[in-house]
Amino acid sequence: MNVLAWCVAAWLLGVGIYGIVTSRHYVHMIGCMTVCQSGTYVLLLGIGFRWGAGPPIFYDTPPGTSAVDPVMQALVLTDIVVGAAMTALLLAIALQVHKRRGTLDPQHLRPLRPRE
Amino acid sequence: MTGYWRLALLAPALIVLAIAAAQVILAMPAFGHPLSQYGTTVNALAPMIRNVSNMVAAVNFDVRAIDTLGEESMLICAVTATVVLLRGHRGEDMTECAGRLAGREWLGRSAATVLMCRLMATVVFLYGVFVVLHGTVTPGGGFQGGAIAASSFILIYLGEGYSVWRDVLHSEIFAAVEGFGGLAFALAAMVPLAFGYAADQNVLPLGSWKDLYSGGLMVIVNAAVGVAVIGSFGVLLLEFMEETRAPKPGDEDDEDQEEGA
Repeated sequence: MNVLAWCVAAWLLGVGIYGIVTSRHYVHMIGCMTVCQSGTYVLLLGIGFRWGAGPPIFYDTPPGTSAVDPVMQALVLTDIVVGAAMTALLLAIALQVHKRRGTLDPQHLRPLRPRE
Repeated sequence: MTGYWRLALLAPALIVLAIAAAQVILAMPAFGHPLSQYGTTVNALAPMIRNVSNMVAAVNFDVRAIDTLGEESMLICAVTATVVLLRGHRGEDMTECAGRLAGREWLGRSAATVLMCRLMATVVFLYGVFVVLHGTVTPGGGFQGGAIAASSFILIYLGEGYSVWRDVLHSEIFAAVEGFGGLAFALAAMVPLAFGYAADQNVLPLGSWKDLYSGGLMVIVNAAVGVAVIGSFGVLLLEFMEETRAPKPGDEDDEDQEEGA
């Protein structure tokens, strides 16, 4: 039980990398990258977790009540926001690649050449 | 490179990764007993010295506000890059209809869909603004609330269709909103410098605990982030939806698509 969270994080990273390497479509590849990233969510939230602690919001509970680590939660929030923006950027790149090359299969894409 | 070679190269890499991960996992502190003094200190002190009840907001908008400014800049840069990549291929002007598959029947939109989308878009937008404004009090904040509010734009698209959507929402407005949010955050960080304080130092009156106004400068930073996120997501949605509209005869250079195929 002690190492389960870390194992899940490592597993998510591993299956994400496997998906990226064997991917046959760029959109699928971007999805696999998101799986890798969700490993970091598990890792960060796992680091901040504390048994028997509540959320780090002292609205219903008085300050001083045992609460999980707010720094880790803030980092996960950062992670999610930047991840969403990066996913949008990668999807835009995928759209442009499809317009110019007509395919999104990494196997069939050749290095970029100047237009003739 | 064929799929076989990809897997053959992946296998040793994954073995190395597995060994390294096992080493790290065995060296990690026990699950559920954090050693972080940082988080414990924030939990203990922030309610007293900042009068806020949401510790995550306190970390994001006060303790590590400069970090969040960097993150905000990253968000705006990524959105700008996305817009640069998407815009220009189909022109700036609006057309009447969205792109449609030839031969597919157009069934129209049911009155129930239109009504529900109009109602829910309003409710969702207001709820997003609510979550932004209560960022320092209850769970939520600029990032989460901004994303909720921006999702109401999708409901407008669903209920009204492409042409009305483009009539109602303009990318110039979203770009201005996004820029205003980013600028407000940057000013909140810089203005204290002009008066001899540290950057982003909380110089405003702190307000009272559990109140809508609590946390002083955090309120402004939080609202600025919310505004910037609404603008960013609005721009993103608009530019991606623009890709679905029916191309007009001159505004797209698809000829290099056949070239590459």
